[in-house]
Amino acid sequence: MTISRRVFVRAGGLALVSLGLDPLFLARAAFAKTRRLSPLSPLSASDRPILVCLFQRGAVDGLNMIVPHGDRLYYQERPRIAIPASDVVDLDGHFGLHPSLAPLKSLWDNKSLAVLHGIGSPDSTRSHFDAQDYMESGTPGLKSTGDGWLNRYCEHDREHADTPFRAVAFGPQLPRILAGSAPSLAIDDLQAFGLRVPQEDARDRLTKAFEELYDGAGTGLLASSSREGFEAIQMLKRADPTQYRPAGDVEYPSGRLGRTLLQIAQLIKANVGLEIAFADCTGWDTHVNQGSSEGQLSARLRELGLALSAFTRDLGDGMHNVVVLTMSEFGRTIRENGNSGTDHGHATAMLVMGGPVNGGQVLGRWPGLEIDQRFEARDVAVTTDFRDLFAEILARHLGATDLAPVFPGYAPTVARFPGAIRV
Amino acid sequence: MRHFLIVAATLAVVSPRPLAAQAPQLSTRDSALHALNRLAYGPRPGEVDSVVRIGVMRWIDQQLDPDRIDDAALQQREREFKILSYDREDLAQRFRDVQRERQRLQRESSPPDPLSASPRGGTDMRPMREFRELGGELQQLAIVRATLSERQLREVMVDFWTNHFNVFVGKGADRFLLPSYIEETIRPRALARFEDLLIATAESPAMLFYLDNAQSVAPGSSPPFPLFARRRGGQGVRSRPTGINENYARELLELHTLGIDGGYTQQDIIEVARIFTGWSIEPPDRGAGFVFRDWAHDRGTKHVFGLTFHNDGKDEGIRLLKFLANQPATMHHVSAKLCMRFVADDPPDGCIDAAVAAWQHTRGDMRAVLRAIFTSPDFWDARVVRSKVKTPFEFVISAARAISADPDSTPRLAQMVARLGEPLYQQPAPTGYAETEAHWVNSGSLLARMNAAVALAGGRLPGIDANLDAVIPATTDHAQLVDRVDERILGSTMSAHTKSVILAQLGDISDPTQARVLAVGLALGGPDFQKQ
Repeated sequence: MTISRRVFVRAGGLALVSLGLDPLFLARAAFAKTRRLSPLSPLSASDRPILVCLFQRGAVDGLNMIVPHGDRLYYQERPRIAIPASDVVDLDGHFGLHPSLAPLKSLWDNKSLAVLHGIGSPDSTRSHFDAQDYMESGTPGLKSTGDGWLNRYCEHDREHADTPFRAVAFGPQLPRILAGSAPSLAIDDLQAFGLRVPQEDARDRLTKAFEELYDGAGTGLLASSSREGFEAIQMLKRADPTQYRPAGDVEYPSGRLGRTLLQIAQLIKANVGLEIAFADCTGWDTHVNQGSSEGQLSARLRELGLALSAFTRDLGDGMHNVVVLTMSEFGRTIRENGNSGTDHGHATAMLVMGGPVNGGQVLGRWPGLEIDQRFEARDVAVTTDFRDLFAEILARHLGATDLAPVFPGYAPTVARFPGAIRV
Repeated sequence: MRHFLIVAATLAVVSPRPLAAQAPQLSTRDSALHALNRLAYGPRPGEVDSVVRIGVMRWIDQQLDPDRIDDAALQQREREFKILSYDREDLAQRFRDVQRERQRLQRESSPPDPLSASPRGGTDMRPMREFRELGGELQQLAIVRATLSERQLREVMVDFWTNHFNVFVGKGADRFLLPSYIEETIRPRALARFEDLLIATAESPAMLFYLDNAQSVAPGSSPPFPLFARRRGGQGVRSRPTGINENYARELLELHTLGIDGGYTQQDIIEVARIFTGWSIEPPDRGAGFVFRDWAHDRGTKHVFGLTFHNDGKDEGIRLLKFLANQPATMHHVSAKLCMRFVADDPPDGCIDAAVAAWQHTRGDMRAVLRAIFTSPDFWDARVVRSKVKTPFEFVISAARAISADPDSTPRLAQMVARLGEPLYQQPAPTGYAETEAHWVNSGSLLARMNAAVALAGGRLPGIDANLDAVIPATTDHAQLVDRVDERILGSTMSAHTKSVILAQLGDISDPTQARVLAVGLALGGPDFQKQ
């Protein structure tokens, strides 16, 4: 089912044709791979580092996701919604997981899960719209940036081959973070990717017809993009997503997030050149009746924890080159509001997990919850600029060589990396 | 105005001659098709012939004077859209009902089951559903107008300006402010003087909210009454604004007028922001209209671009906008963008210079500027003909027009535009969508175009009445079928390659209706139709 890249390099173009695949595209991929790695290293496709980003839209309450149960003020400020210390899944004596994230505890124990607390934007906006926009454009405070930082990474890092599946967003439209001039794909449903004709014969025939039509499109973007599209269809057809079964007895939770992570795992295992996967998970804007160990937020976290846990177990050893990053536009107020909820705040917490992660620790500098330690006397202060974490993952995990064009006007430096990826 | 009409009349008389001299390589039919592709959303069946009959330049003149074009059929169709019968205050009221309903539900809701219901589940109440439907109507209205209007150039310019002065419909109050922005701010001025349009957008509640100028106040100023009191449990914190907000000032210079290389500094942005302090909007329960808040205006002296502004209230902003609207950098920036839309992604200097000269002559009368572009040799250069890839919107509208489709008021075609990558009014960044193909041509969106083409050809989209029988009668003669498809859908520009591929595909299909679906689907989804 999967394609070993070693075969392509050793066997050359003729063997590729006999596999029924387009030699040009694969030769390109193999070439880039040889440039990237030394000629002696094994060119297994599974060596390609992969980043999976989950955007928790709506601003997740970092304090109830990664609970500072060792802090008296946390309990004092949240009489109705704090997670009782007895329910918290302790991590390091001071912080612990919300009980609904218990499925992730084993990842912490085997040091493949790290937490960053006090992370956020240098911009003070409390508007979902603006803050999400800044987190995706990678230029906080600057609205006119047209493209997203993940796209700029793809655009500027040409070491990595462009396959049709290099950067994939799961959802009906391409999100801001992947908008820009580098090719990226929005896939709503992997099984329905390609031409939508119910009968397979008719679908193949139509695909072939369009492919022939575009063969006559000459050169230019229209020609190259359509070619990539048909290559993608071919590759997926071989991988046959309709037949996918997760490893062992792994079951993803029902719902959109589980379905999405299952499809990301599928794409990774299909070896189609995925480098960046992006997906949204919504429902974090808990102004009213947020709940504590049980309730609204708990339900969302349970789905997140189960889905991530299923994903890591499904990939198994495959996780050795995968990093999963959660992000959210800002955190929420330290003090609960009059409706047993929380309002828009400032810093939040992010999770980084996977084989390359320097796990088993809470990273960043905890700013504390005392009034004078807070941002504008009410919110968790930002002690890590989100760009420092994103930049570290691009540099140390994906191997980005030039971060300046990815985060214009910022110039991330190694000294500011929070240390989320093992060196 | 009288001056302009005289100029227009003169040009109309002489224009066929320069046209013929400039572009001997384009036949009259090619010229008509080119004009229909660029000034309109592509030809409807038979329209190339009718433009040839009228005369290409005369047709262009008519398009530049849209109020004299009869558009009764569209006006009839517009009556189906409820959204046009609501004004801003009605919509604000509906929006507030939805907000209240949502808060009530959130308060009452028991914790949702984690694995089945999303937290948004159960919100399918009447006011919310109605409001969502109105949002769909707003998008579909743009589709119906672009498809059916006889005033095609005006619809193209409405799309251009809505994108140039982009407002994201998903940002808070803009959910209900956008309809009046389209109807009252943009549409009446689509072919007006640039400075009138610029001032109208600056005063529009939609823009004031979107780029945060509504909350930009002079530091230290405070309202005479508690206007921005903290709201209990509302969406976030609305503490009283305490200083200037530079967002609008920055985008005004960078995107709306001078352009990113327009030669201004951060200090200029601050001065401009100070000038616009006090330009704000009424609260939604008072209609959310424009208001100039004297108390919030910075009364100090501002120096910017060699001008001095001193305690002149709202007039400071008006004076600045009129100044910016006619700066050389603005003329060049906006003219170049117009040429990207109408001529080529990388437009030649000639047409830009012609547009700038017309701008200088007429103080930014858009009809004169557009006429300068349409009469420039660059516009008729054979190298630019069919060189531009259609945007998602242009593709969907031109396909619907090509097969004489009649979209109803359900948002089917609007959803199709969204699937192709550029959902209407949903670009969050103030840049709007880019005018160049790299931003919308990619493998995923091309596959989506092929799917859209096949769905349209197969009549598989409820709510869109495609009258294929009238356009391309079914026949068992494949050569005749392909010729007809070529003539009707591609204006007789189908490449030999496309023709042979379609003919080969039809080979074993004996059912005439099926053959037609395949031929039309391949033609609409193939490479020839992606270009204009």
